[in-house]
Amino acid sequence: MNTEETILALNKRFPALEATSARPLRIFTAFAAPEEFEKTLQYAFSKLDYHKGKHIVGTDEGENIGLSYILSNDENVLLVLRERVPKSAPHVRSMGELFPSLMLHEREMVDLFGVQVSGLPEGPNYPLPDGWPEGEYPLRKEWNPAYFNKQTMTYEPPKEEDAK
Amino acid sequence: MSDRNQNERNNKVVVPIGPQHPSLKEPGSFKITLDGEKVERAVVEIGYNHRGIEKACESRNYIQALYIIERVCGICSHAHTLCFCQAFEELAGLEVPRRAHYIRGIVGELERLHSHLLWLGVAAHEIGFDTLFMYTWRDRELVLDLLARIGGNRVNYGVNTYGGVRRDLEPELMQDILHVCDLLEEKLKYYADLALTETTLIARLKGIGVLTPDDVRKYSAVGPVARAAGIEGDVRVAEPYGVFKEIAVNVITDDHCDVYGRTLVRVKEMLEAIRLIRIMVAQIPEGPISVRAPRKLPVGEVLSRVEAPRGEDIHYIRSTGTDMPDRVRVRAPTEANWHGMSHMLEGFQLADVPIIIAAIDPCYSCTDRAIHLIGDGINQLTDWAQIRALSIEQYKSRGIDPGSIKVREF
Repeated sequence: MNTEETILALNKRFPALEATSARPLRIFTAFAAPEEFEKTLQYAFSKLDYHKGKHIVGTDEGENIGLSYILSNDENVLLVLRERVPKSAPHVRSMGELFPSLMLHEREMVDLFGVQVSGLPEGPNYPLPDGWPEGEYPLRKEWNPAYFNKQTMTYEPPKEEDAK
Repeated sequence: MSDRNQNERNNKVVVPIGPQHPSLKEPGSFKITLDGEKVERAVVEIGYNHRGIEKACESRNYIQALYIIERVCGICSHAHTLCFCQAFEELAGLEVPRRAHYIRGIVGELERLHSHLLWLGVAAHEIGFDTLFMYTWRDRELVLDLLARIGGNRVNYGVNTYGGVRRDLEPELMQDILHVCDLLEEKLKYYADLALTETTLIARLKGIGVLTPDDVRKYSAVGPVARAAGIEGDVRVAEPYGVFKEIAVNVITDDHCDVYGRTLVRVKEMLEAIRLIRIMVAQIPEGPISVRAPRKLPVGEVLSRVEAPRGEDIHYIRSTGTDMPDRVRVRAPTEANWHGMSHMLEGFQLADVPIIIAAIDPCYSCTDRAIHLIGDGINQLTDWAQIRALSIEQYKSRGIDPGSIKVREF
């Protein structure tokens, strides 16, 4: 299924996604509603034959964490499907059964953005080292590497009164 | 019951390999559960090279970020900067001059040559064929010398910049590139013949680390690993970029689906790289090598990809309209090839583990997006004559006189 056919099919089935393509072999979509997101991934996998899970790009969206799942098919189209979860309680379900190649990237979302991924099989953390302080997620915008002490593995931002 | 008790009860042994181990020169941890000598289960643990390169890019401007991206990997640094520059140029709407595309293409194929020669040597070393290891690493020096002449450095050449390249190729240098291609072609044909006829090598590599076409789809494997299973995935053909919009690439595939197939694909890809370099040198147009690039990018996001030596390299950039990227994500080819690693190991012998791991040509730094600076800034260059003199001195100290050995001239 080529770029145009994919956009037609996606927008017909999920109009809210507003799938668009600014250039050949690329399709970007809007953030899907949380209850719809899994359906869009399953639809892309089973109906549109997007069977390759390329990777997940996590983004800090202010109050939310964005997850962009990059999928591909045999015609080499890169399809970006997205969901957004609140930073205060970021939780998604693992898509590893559908796309085994995304599990490593889900682990990355856990470590770097603090997203809880239910259904992710037990396994080693990736990519942060053992002893990394709990509750510190380095790819969130508010996390400042200048306050991280590599020797003691502690994150010590200045207190508000110090900053003043 | 704990895993350990369960294993003891079933007479299974868990062998922890790594993170530091003699098999590969980068850190990776593998927990191998054995039933006798047979690998029953393999758990791969990576991430030891993570240095936060993406976070580092987000707090620097695009010019600074390019220098960091160059250091994602020591082997395929050109592929990473090319991918990043392409993403920048797409968002900025820059038209790169044709001559720059050709120079990028020549350096990219030279990089593929040195990467595959390095891999062939590592693979030979893993199976105890150290003569081949020494031959290929010696031959690789010819390519590294060329790259050093082009960019002033053996691995991080600094050729790419936004809007083109930073280095032009003089006619004399291009003649030397062709001369090295002639020398290498002769050797590569010998290695190809060796791979097709040397019974020990074939017996050691055939039928191990199997990844079928269905597995490749399931685990989204890329590059020579996928092409050795007959999957024609090559970004230079699937989504031609730069010079490959003008010059067609013959995609090399194989149907062995194993480590042997991956070896054949890489050896043949080197011969194809030489063919492409000759065409590019013959057809390179005159003209400028770069256009002026803006410091800031307009608001937007872009996904760029190129065919690195190890496979499809994908870079994502999101811009909020400033001179610094809001988000950078590097999906290196090795990261894609780790997913199928446990599957490739399971069912084979413990002795096959090093070569099966090596057969994806793993780059831990790429996977983890590392940046690691070493040394104190003092440059040191050792040429062939000095290396030879040092080795003679070392052998003489052990009572051996290698003075009569003749070094083959290149």
